[in-house]
Amino acid sequence: MESEKSLLIVILDTSLTHDVMCNNKIRMSEYLNAVTVFVNCHVMLKPTNKVAVVVVDTIDCQFVYPDNNLSLTSLRQTTGQCEIFSQVEYSLRNNISNFISQNAKKDILTTEPLIGAACAKSLCYISRLERELEAGKSLNSRILIITGSDNECDKYVRFMNIVFTAQKQNVIIDVCSLEHDIALLQQACDITEGIFFKVPNLSALLQYLLWIFLPDPGIRKKLVVPPPNRVDYRPLCFCHRELIDIGYVCSVCLSIFCKFTPICTTCEVVFKTPTPLPGKAKKKKK
Amino acid sequence: MTTFSEDVLLQVGNVKHKKGEGTLYVMNERIAFILQGSETVSVSHLYTDIKMQKISSEFKTKVQLQLVFHNGETSTFHFIKPDRSEAMRDRDKVKDVLFKLLPKFQKKVNKELEEKNRILSENPSLLQLYRDLVITQVITAEEFWSQHAPKYVPRNVNNNQSTGVPANFLVNIKPQIDGCNSVKYNLNYETINCIFKTYPAVRKKHLEYVPSKMTESEFWKKFFESHYFHKDRINLGANDLFSECAKYDEQELKKELRTLDNNSLVNLSSIDDVDIGEGYGLFEDSSKTTNLIHESIIKRFNQHSISVLKTSKAHSSNSEMNINKNIPNNIEKDTARKHDLPNGNCDTIINYKKSKIMDKINYEDLNPSTIDNCEIESSNLKLNKVEQFANELTKCTRSDNKSLKLKIANSMKEQISNEVLKWSKEHTTCPINPSVAVQALGELTPGGKLMKGLLDDSQSGLLLPPEVSKELQNLYMALGELLRHFWACFPPTTPTLEDKLIRTHDALRRFHSVKLKPFEDTVLREHSHLNQISSHLTLMLNSAYTKYSSWHCRRKPYPS
Repeated sequence: MESEKSLLIVILDTSLTHDVMCNNKIRMSEYLNAVTVFVNCHVMLKPTNKVAVVVVDTIDCQFVYPDNNLSLTSLRQTTGQCEIFSQVEYSLRNNISNFISQNAKKDILTTEPLIGAACAKSLCYISRLERELEAGKSLNSRILIITGSDNECDKYVRFMNIVFTAQKQNVIIDVCSLEHDIALLQQACDITEGIFFKVPNLSALLQYLLWIFLPDPGIRKKLVVPPPNRVDYRPLCFCHRELIDIGYVCSVCLSIFCKFTPICTTCEVVFKTPTPLPGKAKKKKK
Repeated sequence: MTTFSEDVLLQVGNVKHKKGEGTLYVMNERIAFILQGSETVSVSHLYTDIKMQKISSEFKTKVQLQLVFHNGETSTFHFIKPDRSEAMRDRDKVKDVLFKLLPKFQKKVNKELEEKNRILSENPSLLQLYRDLVITQVITAEEFWSQHAPKYVPRNVNNNQSTGVPANFLVNIKPQIDGCNSVKYNLNYETINCIFKTYPAVRKKHLEYVPSKMTESEFWKKFFESHYFHKDRINLGANDLFSECAKYDEQELKKELRTLDNNSLVNLSSIDDVDIGEGYGLFEDSSKTTNLIHESIIKRFNQHSISVLKTSKAHSSNSEMNINKNIPNNIEKDTARKHDLPNGNCDTIINYKKSKIMDKINYEDLNPSTIDNCEIESSNLKLNKVEQFANELTKCTRSDNKSLKLKIANSMKEQISNEVLKWSKEHTTCPINPSVAVQALGELTPGGKLMKGLLDDSQSGLLLPPEVSKELQNLYMALGELLRHFWACFPPTTPTLEDKLIRTHDALRRFHSVKLKPFEDTVLREHSHLNQISSHLTLMLNSAYTKYSSWHCRRKPYPS
């Protein structure tokens, strides 16, 4: 019965460049508190449940739990809390504050958090755990991204590669967005069969986290959860950066254009004239 | 006897059927039985109704012949000549005649049935219509096929294309194993035909030996023994009846191999027993000594396939002069003709084909040699705007906004860092305000703000349950079809139209009582709020009834 472990990796975005933080819609300490409680709740559900937390901002991303450097002395419980909870909480508090104060010394140069990198790290971690698994046991992993990011947040191609890797590894990506509908992350959730959820009221963040993201994917099917939004898969064209339904795709580098151009601006391939329709890919002839 | 105008092929006395003794007549199209002392035919079966005949085993005391019909019924005739061997002879005579006659009729029936089956399975809507109208006996099957489905029935029925030989026919003779170490084969006419077609040598043997030297069953027994139990054919018994056949087959195979030698499409001479590796792909173990038995089995598979292919060739070559006789494949012949190649010289054809195939399966840019020779850069993706390639497709934030944000972020990082440091030290006991949490819960429960897309109970009540909707759809389809025919009869100017009108009207009435009424009842019972759902159907029916009765009243005064 206990052969299946459930691993939750929380990717926690602490970037200061988001509207949520800039405009003080939620205090950083409230935000971190909610996530800490949520993480502990997952551990509490089942003794076999595992958790990992990656903290990410525009400069760096780092695992804050599990923590290999955790000294045994710090494990001594102080508040009568169960050991595992106090261990999780201690690591989170310690490492997150270290991470933030470290990065506070650096200049913030970009508004894009490194969510893709954090996902890649998480996937590596998952695949390592899966390799180390004892025979007959299985690991059920998912990634929860909590972010206040507003733009499409990452390098598109790179991020999509990661999403498809996750899909291949059977890793579900859930996203809890603090403020915006992020098309890229919506696509990621749709591809990996996760949930994308935009929090309507930030002061109740913990409640939404517990209600929507705590149940395992297998249990979610039996619960009544908010219906999924329709995901917009329309891409932006490379030339005018507009959403298009139908466009021209370069047969060599797969760049997308809304109008026919004789030369691909990305890879400088020369296309044949489109009369009749460019049916076949260009074939070299000696 | 006088009741029949058909020829009597065989007349056998001393036959018992259902405890009555009498005479069995085997005629052109039917088998009949007349009780002793009676003038009339008591039993008569058309051959088209008969599925197959069975005979009692040689070791049983009763000598019997059983006819199995398509509808599953059976009829048994008991041959009761006092002398057992005579009774047997009588029975075998009947059996032989039937054996020859039945396939002719069977083919006819099977073809029709198969055709209809095929049509139904290819058209799910037609099948549904068939279910609704025929199985519920609203209309008869013949009426259905003639009236409602004519466009599905192909016109050119009379193309007597001979069936080819299925490659697996030998496997399809499923032997039955009875408990005591013996195997029983049931051969039918078609299978035997297949064997003959595929193995001409066996046919020759059959003509030679049966029935002069051995009986039919003995012959086939020997055939299967040799075919299955000595299938490796390494050490043939000298007295084996089929050893000659085997030799003949061997020669044929060699001949075939010679003709196929320069054919690019098949390679029969390389016989390898290759395992399929665990990962996808093959690995060859060259060190393995070739297993003689495996090799000969593979050879025999090849030979079997060649023989099967040849039967189809034999048929087609009769009808047309083929260009390249040496290639035993119809498809190849077609391609050759399509390209208008100079006929006669089959080497050029084969070379041409070879080059065509190579052209299709070779990709210049995948060929390692060309890549080595040519410039490598050409096959690599050359991006002059890598950033554009990697980042495009994502919305760019307006730069003014971005710089503003960066400014704010840089200014507040000190403050946040302090806040987090403070947070890391203190322990909160209340991570969320209870009233806010309750409010969030309200949004998340059905009916709440966030659950709008979900159907709540009051809404789903207005929708049709899927099974009712499906049923309703079928009803509309069936009734529509009937009504279409009904209204097409107006104005009924000819007696045939009148006749059809009356029949369709009856069918409508039957449909009403057999299909619509039960549907209404179930809906009323299980989904009482949907009671209006069939009103439109009823309306359509009623208008048809009104039309019919008005026509009927007017017709009455002037009976034709």
